[in-house]
Amino acid sequence: MKRSTKQKACGLLAGGLLLALLPGCSGGLVSNVNNGTINPNTDQTEFDIMGGMSALSAGYDGHEVLDALQESAGVTIHWETMSDSLAEQVNIRITGGQLPDAFMGVGFSNYDIARYGDDGTFLDLTPYLTPEIMPNLCKVLDAHPEIRAAITMEDGGIYGLPSGEQMTTAGIGAPMDEAFSIFSVPQYSMINKAWLDELKLPMPTSLDELHDVLKAFKDNDMSAKYYGNAAGTTIPMTTGFDEWCWGQNIFYSGFGFTNWPNDVINDIHLRSDGKVEFVCTTDAYRDCITYFHDWYAEGLMDVEMFSQSDSQLIAKCQQGYVGVSTWWYIEELMGDYAKDYVFLPPLTGPKGTQYEGTCGVTIRPGTPISSGQLNITNKCQSPINLLKFFDQWYEGETVMQLQYGPIGVFFTGKDDKGMWLSISDEEAREKYGKSGGELRNVYEVYGPKLVLAEYYNEVFYMEPRAIERLTDLDESWMPYVKDTTFYPVDCVFTGMEMETIDWHKPDLESAVREQEGLWIKEGGPTDAEWEAYKQRLVDKCGLNDLIIAYQDAYDRYAQTR
Amino acid sequence: MTAINKKARGMSDKTSEAILIGICAIVLLLVAYPLYYVVVASFSDPYEVYAGKTFLLPSGFTLEGYKSVFLNDGIVSGFFNSVKYTVIGTIFSVVMLYITAYPLAQKDLPGRKFISLFFLITMYFGGGLVPTYLVVKQTGLVGSMWSLFLPGGVGVGNMIIVRNYFQNSIPHDLLEASRIDGCSKLRTFIKVVIPLSMPILAVMVVFSMVAYWNDWFTALIYLGGQGSPLPLVMRNILIKSSATASQASTISGGYAELNKLTELLKFCSMIVAALPMLIVYPFVQKYFEKGFMAGAVKG
Repeated sequence: MKRSTKQKACGLLAGGLLLALLPGCSGGLVSNVNNGTINPNTDQTEFDIMGGMSALSAGYDGHEVLDALQESAGVTIHWETMSDSLAEQVNIRITGGQLPDAFMGVGFSNYDIARYGDDGTFLDLTPYLTPEIMPNLCKVLDAHPEIRAAITMEDGGIYGLPSGEQMTTAGIGAPMDEAFSIFSVPQYSMINKAWLDELKLPMPTSLDELHDVLKAFKDNDMSAKYYGNAAGTTIPMTTGFDEWCWGQNIFYSGFGFTNWPNDVINDIHLRSDGKVEFVCTTDAYRDCITYFHDWYAEGLMDVEMFSQSDSQLIAKCQQGYVGVSTWWYIEELMGDYAKDYVFLPPLTGPKGTQYEGTCGVTIRPGTPISSGQLNITNKCQSPINLLKFFDQWYEGETVMQLQYGPIGVFFTGKDDKGMWLSISDEEAREKYGKSGGELRNVYEVYGPKLVLAEYYNEVFYMEPRAIERLTDLDESWMPYVKDTTFYPVDCVFTGMEMETIDWHKPDLESAVREQEGLWIKEGGPTDAEWEAYKQRLVDKCGLNDLIIAYQDAYDRYAQTR
Repeated sequence: MTAINKKARGMSDKTSEAILIGICAIVLLLVAYPLYYVVVASFSDPYEVYAGKTFLLPSGFTLEGYKSVFLNDGIVSGFFNSVKYTVIGTIFSVVMLYITAYPLAQKDLPGRKFISLFFLITMYFGGGLVPTYLVVKQTGLVGSMWSLFLPGGVGVGNMIIVRNYFQNSIPHDLLEASRIDGCSKLRTFIKVVIPLSMPILAVMVVFSMVAYWNDWFTALIYLGGQGSPLPLVMRNILIKSSATASQASTISGGYAELNKLTELLKFCSMIVAALPMLIVYPFVQKYFEKGFMAGAVKG
């Protein structure tokens, strides 16, 4: 029974996935006749909205901010929200043809949006984006043409309202057009300064120097010697492998690149001359992998780096076993030992090679502007009424409350500059028995929230940790970034390009990742292996097709700017 | 010659016994230690567990995990829901198994081969998640407890085991004898067949019970958040905790601390969810082996 249930569940799942992948199965849909024209009907005032919510949210019925917005727009909304298995439920509803009036907080990909826009499931909202119907959004779109460009699909339609969080260095005083996203450099490397001092070693500035330092950490068993842990517990350096904020990628800077995990596609790099390339096929990449194998073979890099979870990494670091690691916040990773650690600035390449003196930190794009957080379906009779409700979301004070919590709960009052102040952790615990973060989770609404960079200067303050992270980024890491180009995350792709990307991206990413891990572990590549690898990426993973797709999309993007 | 042989055998008996005990002890350790380790880990600081500091006793003793499990409002109702679903589901499934398997075990049933084949096909092909959901929805079962039992009520694999047991372990002569003595078919089934098939009945009860106790996916899909069974409640506690942690990971900080609780909850929920079954199991286990072999081997 056990086994057969499992088999059945697997079968069910597999079947479900297959079906979800087949667009042909949505035969029961009514084709949308209103494309491009406005539907003047304003009879419907009650709407069904289905969507996602935070796991800690109690649902949106009785949510004070949403209730007030509904009242002022004169609509009533029946929420059907879930935190769990959202994708399955949404697929079931779309394939079954039982549509709500709108989907909110689902996070449809551009691929889905274009597909559902094309078959008429989602309404084209372009004709409704007028100052009469959506005054606030129009104001935003006029001030930010790049946002309009990002949500306009390749066929010229806009099938969803924009959302995104522009947390950038503008929030800490950088000029708006020179601001960088908080996620520009995701990994901050750090080193145990106390161990360095104990061994009378200087702060390393090149990979060679770091190599010697790590060797000294290991040979002297610093974890045992300095912190009194069991003998042999020293891990000179531990990170994850291609992980978000705890990967090894920052150390590649000595070879002129940092291939951060990327929302567009891993290993993509936009050269400053506007040409797209994949670093995983460059000679620098090859030299880099060859070089780090020696570290791995000497036991300087943790053998568990390919398999450990972030919990395991934190566990090791909080025991004081670790010399060098990466995260974005020292206190978080190192716990009680945090005072002994300092940031380890990006290093230059090994001496005596062409990389001597090279230090190439590249940056990654921030979070994209998406139009998959609010999509109105063809079942909606009076889009105008519903859009009036959502237009209110494009006001600083409203989106602030939808993102964090209501005024009077999360926001306690204004300071003399007219900026809203948020509740402190202690106050939140005292009044609501929750930390500030948990309180936010209870009130946060998932949907088309557009948190513009300027709100942090005009409406409310950024969270303190975010400010700290941005300050670190600005002071400690951005000075090492010479080339500030990156592939824009809000490029718009044509249907054909999306097909290519959808088809090849997972293959390419996993092929590169697997091979990179193997080479670091086992050494290599030989010339023959390297050629075979490049050939495989082209033949099996569509590398050339991908380059063309990304290059074309970028060229169009660059033209419109 | 014989004497020497005997003596030699006597000695080797002892040695082999020692070896056997040794092997059994190793196997026992291999099986029992991971279980014990989970128990220990559920009381330990998870970061110390992951750093390899926990061996026989908890290190960094904490009750935080159990505290957040048992302070959850849903846990008691989840437990009773699970008991309810398990009891009703088990009775339903076993009854369905019996009334399906018994006729199929009768050689004179018309169309027996076709019906068997009909059942067999479902073992190889499923409808897929969405169509199955739509069927259940159209029958109006979504949101009702019966959506957990009716769609998968008859486990075909089990049904075949029971059928084989009826065919092979209950002599046909016995059924004939009772017929000659004037026993009706129904009475034969109730008074002769059921008592004689107690071992296989016990096995089916255990199988169904474990399956219903552990099942959360059906409840997740069909119940729509109402009347969640224990595993689903546990899962929600875990998801909530990890959602809080992952939110903290990006901007607001405190990830390490919140993530600690998530890791701890993993161990605690394993213990809480598995404990009732671990307690029930030994009581039915003695029937278990006997019945399982009876049905399977002679098939």
